[in-house]
Amino acid sequence: MATRDDLIQVRDLKKHYHGDKIRALDGVSVDIQFGDVMVVIGPSGSGKSTFLRSLNLLEEPTGGSILFEGIDITKKKYRDESGRTVKLNIDELRQKMGMVFQHFNLFPHMTILENMTLAPIKVKKMSKAQAEEKALALLDRVGLKERANDYPIQLSGGQKQRVAIVRALAMEPDVMLFDEPTSALDPEMVGEVLDVMKGLAKEGMTMVVVTHEMGFAREVGNRVLFMADGLLVEQGSPEDIFEHPRSPRLREFLSKVL
Amino acid sequence: MDQLFKLSNFSKIAPYAQLFRQGLLVTVLLSLFTVVIGFCLALILALMRMSNFRPLRFLGIDKDGHQREGGALLAISKFNPLDFLATAYVEILRSTPVIVQIFIIYFGVFSMIELPNFQLFGFIKFNRFFPGVVALGMNSGAYLCEIIRAGIQSIDGGQTEAARSLGLSQTQNLRHIILPQALKNILPAIANEFVVIIKESAITYTIGVQDIMSAVNAVKGATFVIIEPLLVATAIYFCLCFPTSKLIAYFERRMSHGDKR
Repeated sequence: MATRDDLIQVRDLKKHYHGDKIRALDGVSVDIQFGDVMVVIGPSGSGKSTFLRSLNLLEEPTGGSILFEGIDITKKKYRDESGRTVKLNIDELRQKMGMVFQHFNLFPHMTILENMTLAPIKVKKMSKAQAEEKALALLDRVGLKERANDYPIQLSGGQKQRVAIVRALAMEPDVMLFDEPTSALDPEMVGEVLDVMKGLAKEGMTMVVVTHEMGFAREVGNRVLFMADGLLVEQGSPEDIFEHPRSPRLREFLSKVL
Repeated sequence: MDQLFKLSNFSKIAPYAQLFRQGLLVTVLLSLFTVVIGFCLALILALMRMSNFRPLRFLGIDKDGHQREGGALLAISKFNPLDFLATAYVEILRSTPVIVQIFIIYFGVFSMIELPNFQLFGFIKFNRFFPGVVALGMNSGAYLCEIIRAGIQSIDGGQTEAARSLGLSQTQNLRHIILPQALKNILPAIANEFVVIIKESAITYTIGVQDIMSAVNAVKGATFVIIEPLLVATAIYFCLCFPTSKLIAYFERRMSHGDKR
């Protein structure tokens, strides 16, 4: 049953393509609680990115439900279409879920500061001065305050990803979703991004992180999900997963990546 | 002694220089208005083609409220009437000759709509000029639509995902993220279309628009000199189009190195 601490409850989540031929997600159920740092690992094509992207409906699930703060965000979308009164505001929902992408996705035609203040000004209707003050404070936190007026092209990959993280934070989300945030980075830049994420976790931010960084999963995660072939194969504490793996599939995976 | 042209004939047509000057002004105005109308129309058409308007969407959802995964109902539910209309428009306009379109607009549509009979700048007949602009604008709108659509689609999908995940609506995403980037990318293509329009506008003399070609005809009728006025027209068109395309090429080069994401 739902407890007060449940932020997101995923039930039997499915994403099928081409009829039932391709099952990117084939029935995933998981509870995410406030303060969780949930790390999702698994081989490529296992459905972990699809799972993460379903949480803020960048992917439309074909089955199951996602309860976010008590509201089923998959069903209310449907009710909306058939004209009932309850209307799910998808934009409002997404404000509460910050997302960080593998390829940063900064807006190249805007300065760093503009990147960060666009959504607070346009969506949260914050004043420009207020949004800028907040953006500068966040940039300062990740050591990029003096780059505020530069364009994304002038930044290194690691710097871009740090900006992407604080851009999402500027909307004051309840949960942060990370989709392989270090996979596109040169090895020497991985650390600076992971450090920012560690800092966030320490402050108690709820995070769902899809990653190949096993060290991060072990050190920072409080729960680890192992996915394969669209299924949630095993979940538990980092110790359970890395020291006492039960399923052969997980053992095989760990033997390859560790 | 056959010659292509005689210098003496140029002095014969010299008194009609004013006609060419007026024709030049008409051609330039015609092209400018056309590109503006064509662009606005094209933007609307491109947005229609890429819209997500599916009034029959409910047919694609099953009893449990989930998306169907196949079948005829799913196919029908994806029907987008806006996309259909815009696509039909673009394909028809691109698959028929401009002169046919101009005649249909002028002799058909504007025979039913009464236009005020006044003269711009004292010599441009509005009731000829306006149908010409409408016809050319409708035609270039079809071509520009595809340019704009390609421009929008060339923007990485991650941009939209980032914008939407920050809570921006579809419209805000289009206005603040997609269009500014897309328009910058397609500016050279739009400018090229402008050169094409300058040349194509010559066809409007057939409905009595007093552009450069109509000046040629007037001079021909008055002096019985044929080749020399055509050579003058050639020179004017070349002087309009060649520098314009060179200018575009220059900006294209300047823009190509520089920003990449």
